[in-house]
Amino acid sequence: MEPADRTIVLELRDLHGQRGDFRLTVPGLRLRAGQALAVTGPSGCGKSTLLDLLGLVLRPAAAGAFRVMGQDVSALWAGGAGGQSALAGLRAGAVGYILQTGGLLPYLSVAENIGLSPRLLGQTMDRGWFDHLVTQLGLQDHLKKAPRLLSIGQRQRVAMARALAHRPPLVLADEPTAALDPATADRALALLLGLSVDSGSALVLVSHDQGRIAGLGIPVLSGVIGTAGEPVRFGPEAQA
Amino acid sequence: MTAGGRPGFLQAVRLAGRDFRHDWKVSLCLCVALAAVMTPLMVLFGLKSGIVTTLQTRLLSDPRNREVVVVGSYSLDAAWFAALTADPRTGFAVPRTRSLAATLDVRAPSGKAEPGLELVPTAPGDPLVPEGLRRQPLAEGAVYLSQSAATTLGVVAGDSVVGQISRTVSNRTEVRRWPLTVAGIVPDSLFSRPAVFAPLAFLVAAEDWRDGRDAPSANRLFASLRLFAADLDAVAPLAETLRQKGLEVRTRAAEIESVQLLDRSLTRVLSLLLGLAVLGFLLSLGASLWAAVERKRRDLALLRLLGFDGLALALVPVTQGVLVAVGGVVLSSLLYWPSAAFFNATLAGTLAREEFVCRLDPLHYGLGVLLTLLLAVLAAAGAARKVARIDPAESLREI
Repeated sequence: MEPADRTIVLELRDLHGQRGDFRLTVPGLRLRAGQALAVTGPSGCGKSTLLDLLGLVLRPAAAGAFRVMGQDVSALWAGGAGGQSALAGLRAGAVGYILQTGGLLPYLSVAENIGLSPRLLGQTMDRGWFDHLVTQLGLQDHLKKAPRLLSIGQRQRVAMARALAHRPPLVLADEPTAALDPATADRALALLLGLSVDSGSALVLVSHDQGRIAGLGIPVLSGVIGTAGEPVRFGPEAQA
Repeated sequence: MTAGGRPGFLQAVRLAGRDFRHDWKVSLCLCVALAAVMTPLMVLFGLKSGIVTTLQTRLLSDPRNREVVVVGSYSLDAAWFAALTADPRTGFAVPRTRSLAATLDVRAPSGKAEPGLELVPTAPGDPLVPEGLRRQPLAEGAVYLSQSAATTLGVVAGDSVVGQISRTVSNRTEVRRWPLTVAGIVPDSLFSRPAVFAPLAFLVAAEDWRDGRDAPSANRLFASLRLFAADLDAVAPLAETLRQKGLEVRTRAAEIESVQLLDRSLTRVLSLLLGLAVLGFLLSLGASLWAAVERKRRDLALLRLLGFDGLALALVPVTQGVLVAVGGVVLSSLLYWPSAAFFNATLAGTLAREEFVCRLDPLHYGLGVLLTLLLAVLAAAGAARKVARIDPAESLREI
């Protein structure tokens, strides 16, 4: 569906993750710019752990290959303080995060929250892109407000704008609509998918809501809990 | 990685400032708590410094505190005086003739007379002589009168008087007179007895004439001297040197010593208070910043997730500690200056002009500010360590 000459944003093979006694494995995954992927599975199947791995905040137990924008993530994790610094830099420049709730700083205005990543990167905010995000997400009238003055739905839309502001190659969304009512959730998801395409970002959308995911028409990576003692295996699911 | 060197250092400082402002109630409490410790300390140090400085200024302004009074009669030769004058601790020294011979009868043009006035030798640099007259030597036939002598005689500076001494030779009384000009008055506060201050040569001539010597002797010996130390610190050692040479001397060393003792004891007490305050400040600010990190852990973890370096974020509590220090310094200064002005105004009655009860040396003030800032950074160290260790994954979890 997507042209094959697009940049490969995320590429992994035989990725193993572990947190405590819990283990998971992803045999293979490749995501290009502009592509979207849903990660789903029953509660407790390790979606969050996988997101931590992809989000560069959990060290992989082992990996055949793990690259974000061509950078060898396993090597950075093995690289001590310099590697940590490089990982922080990669998180700042290459990844946008949308959390389940929150993810906004209470002491900055909506506009300043959205501008956080560009500022950290030393970039000036692209006005056109900023206006596009703000208009699409319906935030024009709230830019000067503090986040606490917004509804939960509005706050989630600000969080989306913040994650997309610096047009990161990879956007990770962790149950971004879990706190919203179904109608609002559908609209928010549609907006996120559309803006990711506009941004040219690859999107990884984690959700336990398999019904809503199925309706989006994007590839799905599904966690399957195997027999006791075996790691959870995340593999592609036949598209509905 | 990002523009401007280390990633996010500047941004972390900026965000710390924004957070500090957003949380202004807590910030204000911290600043007020610091000012509550600092202001009394500043006032105490101001009082100590003001009182000690005033006492020292008073000691310094009264030349009699530098005087080494030689008691008794000795035989001191020119070589002895040369050695004493060469001593850097000597401020002013002039030989005295025998005190019994050093008197002068003085008569004013009005007819008022005062017999047996004390004759005091003087020379350029005499600390008892008024500032404007002190440098130049007295003209021929000019003397200074002490205030009490001038009052009794009813004369003022510029008037002429007649000085007279007498001797008895073969049961016959002989009298010798000098026309004298009053060149200046020595104030009561410096010399309270009625006296005439005259050049040494005049006293020598008077003594020689009284003793019946017509020609001055080549190797004259002096009975005593007037001596002032160069400064307050030189008084005690100079007196000790004279004692070792066999002279009996008296000084106001005890008064000087008492001021120095007061200075030392106050410094010791205040240092102890300062130490306790520093400890309290470190612990309370340290605990507050630590607690703030605990409260804002999720926000800080979010910043780590967004790619802020751990070290850069460690600047957040450091910045906030410094802001507390700055706020505390500003508040305590605002409280200190009116307090100091109040003390100085209410106690002004006991003070001369240019004297203070409460006064902070700008240097000490500057050092205090610097110390506060350094302590704030030190207090933030624990919180900074804690921030640097926050796991960015914490932001992804529900709390």
